[in-house]
Amino acid sequence: MQLIDLRNDLDRSLPAFFRHRRIGDGRTLLTSAEGNWVVLDDAEFRAFATGAVERDGALWRRLDEGNFLRETWDEAAAREAIAARKRFLGYGPNLHVMVVTLRCNETCVYCHASRADMDATHTDMTPEIAEKSVDLAFQSTSPGITIEFQGGEPLVRFDLVKHIVEYARAKNETAGKTLEFTMVTNLSLMTDEKLEYLLDHRVQICTSIDGPKEVHDKQRKLPMLSSYDAATEWIKTINQAYVDRGLDPALYHVEALLTTTKAALARPEEIVDTYLELGCRALFLRPLDPFGFAGKTAKVVEYPRREYLDFYRRATDYVLELNRQGEQMIERYAAIFLMKILKGEDPNFLDIRSPAGAGIGQLAYSYDGQVYTCDEGRMLAAQGDDTFRLGSVQESRYRDIVGHPTVRAMVIASNLDSQPDCVDCTYNPYCGIQTTHNYKTQGSIFGRMRESNICAVHKGIQDYLFNKLADGEPHVLEAFDRWTTVRSREHFLHRP
Amino acid sequence: MSSIEGIPEDLARVDLADKRAILDLDASLYPVEAVYSATYVFIDRCYVLLDRPEAGTLRIVITPKQLDDAESQLRDVVGELANELVSAAWRHQITQENRAKIESVTMQAISGAMGPPTLDDLEDFDFTDEAFEDPLGIAMSWEEKYAKKTEDGEEE
Amino acid sequence: MREVRFHRALYRGESVDEAMKVYARFAKLTPVEEDDHWVVRVEGSSEAGERRIADEMANYALGLTIQRRTE
Repeated sequence: MQLIDLRNDLDRSLPAFFRHRRIGDGRTLLTSAEGNWVVLDDAEFRAFATGAVERDGALWRRLDEGNFLRETWDEAAAREAIAARKRFLGYGPNLHVMVVTLRCNETCVYCHASRADMDATHTDMTPEIAEKSVDLAFQSTSPGITIEFQGGEPLVRFDLVKHIVEYARAKNETAGKTLEFTMVTNLSLMTDEKLEYLLDHRVQICTSIDGPKEVHDKQRKLPMLSSYDAATEWIKTINQAYVDRGLDPALYHVEALLTTTKAALARPEEIVDTYLELGCRALFLRPLDPFGFAGKTAKVVEYPRREYLDFYRRATDYVLELNRQGEQMIERYAAIFLMKILKGEDPNFLDIRSPAGAGIGQLAYSYDGQVYTCDEGRMLAAQGDDTFRLGSVQESRYRDIVGHPTVRAMVIASNLDSQPDCVDCTYNPYCGIQTTHNYKTQGSIFGRMRESNICAVHKGIQDYLFNKLADGEPHVLEAFDRWTTVRSREHFLHRP
Repeated sequence: MSSIEGIPEDLARVDLADKRAILDLDASLYPVEAVYSATYVFIDRCYVLLDRPEAGTLRIVITPKQLDDAESQLRDVVGELANELVSAAWRHQITQENRAKIESVTMQAISGAMGPPTLDDLEDFDFTDEAFEDPLGIAMSWEEKYAKKTEDGEEE
Repeated sequence: MREVRFHRALYRGESVDEAMKVYARFAKLTPVEEDDHWVVRVEGSSEAGERRIADEMANYALGLTIQRRTE
């Protein structure tokens, strides 16, 4: 990539505050503090940086629209835009991850749930702890809360899931929050009876599909069955059940998540096709994280992040091509960033916001009643490091938990305006840091972003998206517009 | 002592016999807070000792706790420590420059999450501490404020 | 015998004292004051043991010094 040398010609009177990044040959991206953006070619960037923009010309108008000109800089608009992006600061944890058991019937090569064998009943949550966890969750200052059932495998203790759903719904009659339930499950222990309950009680269902059958089965093992067959059979059944209940399949379907391992990297199009065939219209191309088993099996499953980004670009290009052909599919990682880039709103994805959601946007409740800043913090504790433990549902008060010094430290550490590299990064208005990831991989919650895998991924994805926006292909822009048009899934919302 | 490939010997060197590395830093480039921040990251896997051999120089002596290949590992530790020092020094500067913004966001985040105290919280609150300055004596009782004093300075 | 030299500008005296208390049961520790340093002489049953105790004590003192900086 060719650089432009402007060191001797910089003008400080024309530009308002901006950050910039070369995103391709002949392309420089500018972002403002409040998250406006514009892509300039070399001549335009030179004119901007040297103060040589023709007043009231086309470039002047583009820069003025983005609030990049000092002369016309609108402070009130900038302030309003920043406040809109930080609206989530006004309230507390909305996501409450409840680990009802560590027992799991499946063994996944990258599992970070610290699973236990099926006879380890001592790793089940008790009904008393379940109720106290719900009591704590309802003390959140957030007007809406989501209770997410995790494990192990939550279907192992379906009775507890039911208990929590009913207890929470009863409590909400007076609390008056917007309540949601989700369950992350491998689906292999699903039955018609359990499914009917989950559908009747409007619990969203999420599962994992790692790609075509041979990829999935190799890294997610059931003792006797094909884990792929077990999951996909139920995905089809559940998706049909939503249709039978009159729900729009574009909105209501099983959410399937991909964990991208080395085995997946060479097969991006096949993976997308697998999701499409299953009726899973949303794809989340998550890279591997270093927690749990993935730390031990890294030699088998890990890969350099540039290989992941190659995979990501190919897969997302294919998703966009399918959209052009009339298939409605969304890539969630892109959608999260695009919501911030195109709509100036924060979708409140807790790991991609500044400050991050650990402790203030989410809490994780272990089977034994211990409360953690997030599920990754819980997982580190399962490996002997309780740095991210905040207290317990039996003994701790809500305000002591969210006001805990660890939470404060993580808020500061994940504030991009306190972080080397991030403070000057063009993607500062849209990005986020995961402090537990920093701690695990680099020894401190602050980390060093230039060496961070997450930073490399986020920069790579945003480079890709901004180049797509600059290319301006109509079908891509239409798809991006659909991906950032929020249609509320009212059916899953429980209100008194 | 021997030098480390790519690093001037007056900045960093290794003692293979003692299996430790020594870094001498310009104290004007690395505030002591940054040195603390950077070296703390290593104390789970290294032994660290700080010193000031002369004015303007800060010395870090670092010894990995477990060493298989001394030369290669020491080089890696020195490199990682050097990167952590740069990061910490820069973060120290950023924090000072952006202090108001960082404090404001942190306060919003924590107070937004905590919300107002409950009655149970207030029950445990210690109201006996002096919570605020009272230059006009508004919080004082009438007796405290206007009681006459004797010649000895005691109140009547 | 081994010496650990804690520079007064870099280590809190109380932190060095506390580190000595923790490790006193593993070796004979003798404090010596110098103008610029608190020096702790470590006498143990072996050279390797002395080194280990000196190193662990140094980490402990550093950790305490850093943790207490805002107190």
